[in-house]
Amino acid sequence: MRIVTKPALNFEIHPSSGVPIYRQLMDQMRLLVASGRMTAGELVPSIRQLAEALEVNMMTVSKAYARLEADGVLERDRGVGMRVKAAATNGSVTQRQGELRPDAEQLAAHAWQLQLSDEQALSVVKTALKKRADVDG
Amino acid sequence: MNHPVIEARGVTKQFGRREVLAGVDLTVPHGAVVGLVGTNGAGKSTFIKCLLGLLRPSGGTIRLLGEEPWTLSAEMKAHLGYVPQTVQLYPWMRVEQIIRYVAAFYPQWDAAWVDGLVRRWDLPKDHRVGPLSQGQLQKLALVLALGHRPGLLVLDEPVASLDPVARREFLRSLLELTADAEHTVLFSTHITSDLERVASHIAVLRNGRIALFDELDAVKDRVKRLRVASRADLPAHFAIRGALRTQVDGRNALVAVADLDDALVREVETNWQADVSVEDLNLEDIFLELHHD
Repeated sequence: MRIVTKPALNFEIHPSSGVPIYRQLMDQMRLLVASGRMTAGELVPSIRQLAEALEVNMMTVSKAYARLEADGVLERDRGVGMRVKAAATNGSVTQRQGELRPDAEQLAAHAWQLQLSDEQALSVVKTALKKRADVDG
Repeated sequence: MNHPVIEARGVTKQFGRREVLAGVDLTVPHGAVVGLVGTNGAGKSTFIKCLLGLLRPSGGTIRLLGEEPWTLSAEMKAHLGYVPQTVQLYPWMRVEQIIRYVAAFYPQWDAAWVDGLVRRWDLPKDHRVGPLSQGQLQKLALVLALGHRPGLLVLDEPVASLDPVARREFLRSLLELTADAEHTVLFSTHITSDLERVASHIAVLRNGRIALFDELDAVKDRVKRLRVASRADLPAHFAIRGALRTQVDGRNALVAVADLDDALVREVETNWQADVSVEDLNLEDIFLELHHD
């Protein structure tokens, strides 16, 4: 039994998806930061650690980190590694809405196939949100 | 070293009147892990053999780090690792013996790593090579090709007879070898899912030519499928620039495009009064789209 380093457990990649692996990593890192599961100043796994744990090419992880750095989600701490950038934590509402958009688009497509009106589709979404809020207390 | 690891220009190969390679152009940079894909009979093995100087091309040029494969120097050969599609090893030797035998040829042999690989891959050290199964033979050949940490590793269908566990171990070993970005790997396969984890680049061989060569990420970022839903029936001349394949059914169309950008989506939306949604394609989808006439 091989033990996977803990920080990598936060990531789940699907190599056979149409979304390139580096994008999957970027999306998931953004979610982790936006949701507060990774907080400002926190060290992210090193490129080698993450590549080994996920069994992917190091260049793939390196590319994801470089883009996240350019996007201001991560910052390089010289000699230490990459950290979550303070400003990125809990992302703006617009940013977080952006994360939801792909799901919304898929939902819209399904609603269209089912010939549901906007109101009918929205009411399903509202019910689901209500249920979620109830669970949360 | 300024030369690309592999540089092929207009490589052709005929067997009698049958043309297998019709002008292959391919430049592989240092540290790349290239998955060479193509249907059965597309010429993958022929190209690999030309690359390594095992077959003489009918035309065109090939350079391995600047050298011509047909007259490769001993130093260059010591930098190569190769596993052919059909593995042939001395059947009377024991696994342990053949490893020592091959190791003796290479001053840079990494015995510790090889030991680890033999253990991880469950190779029976004291068994004779003769009765080994196809899968075990293939594992042994891979270990022998990896042992000297070759600068260029060329594998012809390396996973064809490996079970899923061995396949993952094999992919892990490739990642270990290439972690320093100095080792280059070219492997042919028709199993696209193996490729997606480790490959940095993909080359698609089709009709004797390279139909597509790029970084795997770039390919997945650019090759997409558009789902077009128009308000009126789409005409017979419905077409989108850069389309790989177009399927039309009344008001709806599915179009695979080679190079998606926002402008293209807007263009389709206005030209055809349509709603357009973009779908991601995985490597298998892309491969199939490329092979559709």
